[in-house]
Amino acid sequence: MGFFLEVLIGGLLAGVLYSLVALGFVLIFKASGVFNFAQGAMVLTAALALVRALDLFEQWHWPFGVALAAAFVFAAAVMAIVAWVAERLVLRKLVNQEGIILFMATIGVTFFLEGLAQTVFGADVYPLNIGLPKDPMFILESLFDGGILVNELDVWAAVIAGLLVAGLALFFQRTRIGRALRAVADDHAAAQSVGIPLNQIWFIVWLVAGLVALVAGAVWGSKLGVQFSLSLLALKALPVLILGGFTSVPGAIIGGLVIGAGEKISEVFLGPFLGGGIEIWFAYVLALLFLLVRPQGMFGERIIERV
Amino acid sequence: MAAPSRSFNEVLLTVENISLSFGGVKALTDISFDIAKGEVRAIIGPNGAGKSSMLNCINGFYHPQQGAITYKGIKRARMRPHEAAEQGIARTFQNIALFRGMSTLDNIMTGRNLRMNRGLFWQALRLGPAEREEIEHRKVVERVIDFLEIQHIRKVPVGQLPYGLQKRVELGRALAAEPELLLLDEPMAGMNLEEKQDMCRFVLDVNDEFGTTICLIEHDMGVVMDISDRVVVLDYGKKIGDGVPDVIKNDQAVIDAYLGVSH
Amino acid sequence: MIYREAGQYKASYQADQAIFPIAQDRFVVLALLAVAFLVVPFVASEYVYRAVLIPTVILALAAIGLNVLMGYCGQVSLGSGAFMGVGAYAAYNLTVHLPFLNPFVCILLSGFFAAAIGIVFGIPSLRIKGFYLAVATLAAQFFGDWAFLRVKWITNYTPSGSVNAPPLQLFGWDLSSPTANYLVALLFTVVLGLAVKNIVRGHIGRQWMAIRDMDIAAEIIGVRPMYAKLTAFAVSSFLIGVAGALWAFVYLGSWEPAAFDINRSFQLMFMVIIGGLGSILGSVLGAIFIVLIPIFLNQALPPLGALVGWKISTATVSHFEAMIFGALIVFFLVVEPHGLARLWSVAKEKLRLWPFPH
Repeated sequence: MGFFLEVLIGGLLAGVLYSLVALGFVLIFKASGVFNFAQGAMVLTAALALVRALDLFEQWHWPFGVALAAAFVFAAAVMAIVAWVAERLVLRKLVNQEGIILFMATIGVTFFLEGLAQTVFGADVYPLNIGLPKDPMFILESLFDGGILVNELDVWAAVIAGLLVAGLALFFQRTRIGRALRAVADDHAAAQSVGIPLNQIWFIVWLVAGLVALVAGAVWGSKLGVQFSLSLLALKALPVLILGGFTSVPGAIIGGLVIGAGEKISEVFLGPFLGGGIEIWFAYVLALLFLLVRPQGMFGERIIERV
Repeated sequence: MAAPSRSFNEVLLTVENISLSFGGVKALTDISFDIAKGEVRAIIGPNGAGKSSMLNCINGFYHPQQGAITYKGIKRARMRPHEAAEQGIARTFQNIALFRGMSTLDNIMTGRNLRMNRGLFWQALRLGPAEREEIEHRKVVERVIDFLEIQHIRKVPVGQLPYGLQKRVELGRALAAEPELLLLDEPMAGMNLEEKQDMCRFVLDVNDEFGTTICLIEHDMGVVMDISDRVVVLDYGKKIGDGVPDVIKNDQAVIDAYLGVSH
Repeated sequence: MIYREAGQYKASYQADQAIFPIAQDRFVVLALLAVAFLVVPFVASEYVYRAVLIPTVILALAAIGLNVLMGYCGQVSLGSGAFMGVGAYAAYNLTVHLPFLNPFVCILLSGFFAAAIGIVFGIPSLRIKGFYLAVATLAAQFFGDWAFLRVKWITNYTPSGSVNAPPLQLFGWDLSSPTANYLVALLFTVVLGLAVKNIVRGHIGRQWMAIRDMDIAAEIIGVRPMYAKLTAFAVSSFLIGVAGALWAFVYLGSWEPAAFDINRSFQLMFMVIIGGLGSILGSVLGAIFIVLIPIFLNQALPPLGALVGWKISTATVSHFEAMIFGALIVFFLVVEPHGLARLWSVAKEKLRLWPFPH
């Protein structure tokens, strides 16, 4: 029982990390109707910018706190540039095209960004330390013999994700810009006709998504080191979005938890019967089965087609 | 000027107590009427009255929560769209539903789809049975193209055609299926006088030559009075009139509905 | 002026419906085929065969298959790599368990296996659309990755994880030379490509395009969505499966599951988008383009870098490759969504008048 709990908690915490990446997707989709395959590449770019800047500032013997803050600012600036270029060169030209065209365009952006980020910042594995404790710790020692092994970093990640979600929810519901974003997501042409500046809105959305990517990159980078495989996180986030719906922030969290827990539990308890390594497809098959029952996800909106 | 009244013996389609809602919105409430074989039946009413929804129920795209539709003697609560097509019901749409990636000719050829059966292997080979089938149906389609006078735009991708011609191509696609019941959803919307006259001529010719039963939604009262045998009037999803054009024209409830008198 | 159609009257529907109704097109295509089959074998070097010709021909076949699904029927698929793998491993298993069968028969039969699996993974498309379907096809891709690695009987319990193809022969003739490989692959591609072109011109192709353009209207005029979508998946998977078997047997010789991973899926998708969705010619052009770019970059970039004092490593070249592919995808989607094929027909339009200005 203790072992099961350990696996479950480990899975849930991994799930929170997936949610962090999924949040970026939800933001962009919610506000522009674009499914941004490049979110993973954005996580990679942000993390690379962060870690290289941090290394550089530490080489210059800046105190850790200053170096860290400056590195975050630098990475945020890089993401702002990415947002600006994406809006200018990609989105602006593809307004009013169907979703699938925009999706394929973001695949193009993914490849471009991955190539560029690695050319500019380097393609090695860079360990990242942003001050989060990485030690394993034991909890619930009184209930279970020896306690349950939990990674402290993961717990901090969960806390950070929670704060981020709360902040984003407030942003969307309470601010004028948030309302404009929701209008744009519903109908580009209608939003333009009431004077909402589409281009500015998209830049803001991609910037916010870029900052979310930065947070995700910082956390994942601390955990795994900053390396190319971070961009493959995008592929992990897709099943999360299927379950949670593409437009729901709480859905991204819950979807992440379900996928994370499901993956770990299935790997440990089901995997040995199937030859192991089922983690790579479990989430996807789960999402696929879910889609067959509920094509719009847990929290997504039902689309009524009119002729 | 009303059409001389014709009499019809056989009923092709009966709509009984159809009610349809989307979530909380009631689109249709307890609608009943029938369509006789060979007649031209018009459905009229102010915008939002539920006319398109009614057509969508008839060809199986919407499924009414209550009521039944009897077509060719068989009563059913719901029918899938391709079943409706297989039974001989064809239709055109208010906001043109042509296949934009294909040419006029190909679009109308899709109307013959139900009658083309040669499987994958013969299609891959093409020579022989598949080619013969293609030519046989091409001949039918060319007759439709001649009938609608659209020879000059045969190979043009329909997305590039002006609105009036697109509507004609869509009619062509419906006609190519040689339907028994033709549902036309505002076939003359957005047309000028000349185009409307052409369209009326086509509709009447189809009814005359092939005996096709026609059910059309139309806003132009002149057209409705001229070409239809009987009229159904809908307002806010309810039926408020059913009869020959002369009678409907003078019905107070119908006049009130169009003039917006609250009732 | 060169491409003038004036004077070419079609006196029968059959002539009007031919694959290449314009005489100049017929001539060019036949000439190209003649060159490909008769001239190239005498002039190409082994390097050109292995680096350019054979991969292009095989991947063109796979791209045609993917175009059937994505371009003609409008169903997004990110799992084509796995389907190539299905073809490859199916052919391999056939040669292992039925060794009396000629390898080419196995390659052809593997297409049917791939088609069957394609139909299974196509069933979700009846309910799911757009990028949800893309996610479903990713499920197929990752499941394939896992199965090829972990389900031991697929690789005949090989300890190393990689398998070898049997030597290629036909009625005793040894066909393992690069020239023979090339001709075999070319034959498969041309014959299957022709078959697909015929299907696409007929009523099944029109059903696919109707589903792509407006699936609701298609259903209303009587197109059965299940039949249309599943035949698209079947034909597409057949072609991709045969291409996968060819890739394994003719090009690679021995392979591991990684040959059919998600990068292969992306590569095929790039070919189809850049080449032109909904065009057989586009698939071929896309394949040529995507195969040539890395070769070109490998040759051109290091000297260019040396000019500015930058030592460009192979890793950097591959990053540039990614950047260029990504930029090209965006470029084509923005400027010419119908890809190279449309650019080609625009050029032909201009050739109608050239050298006259108007």
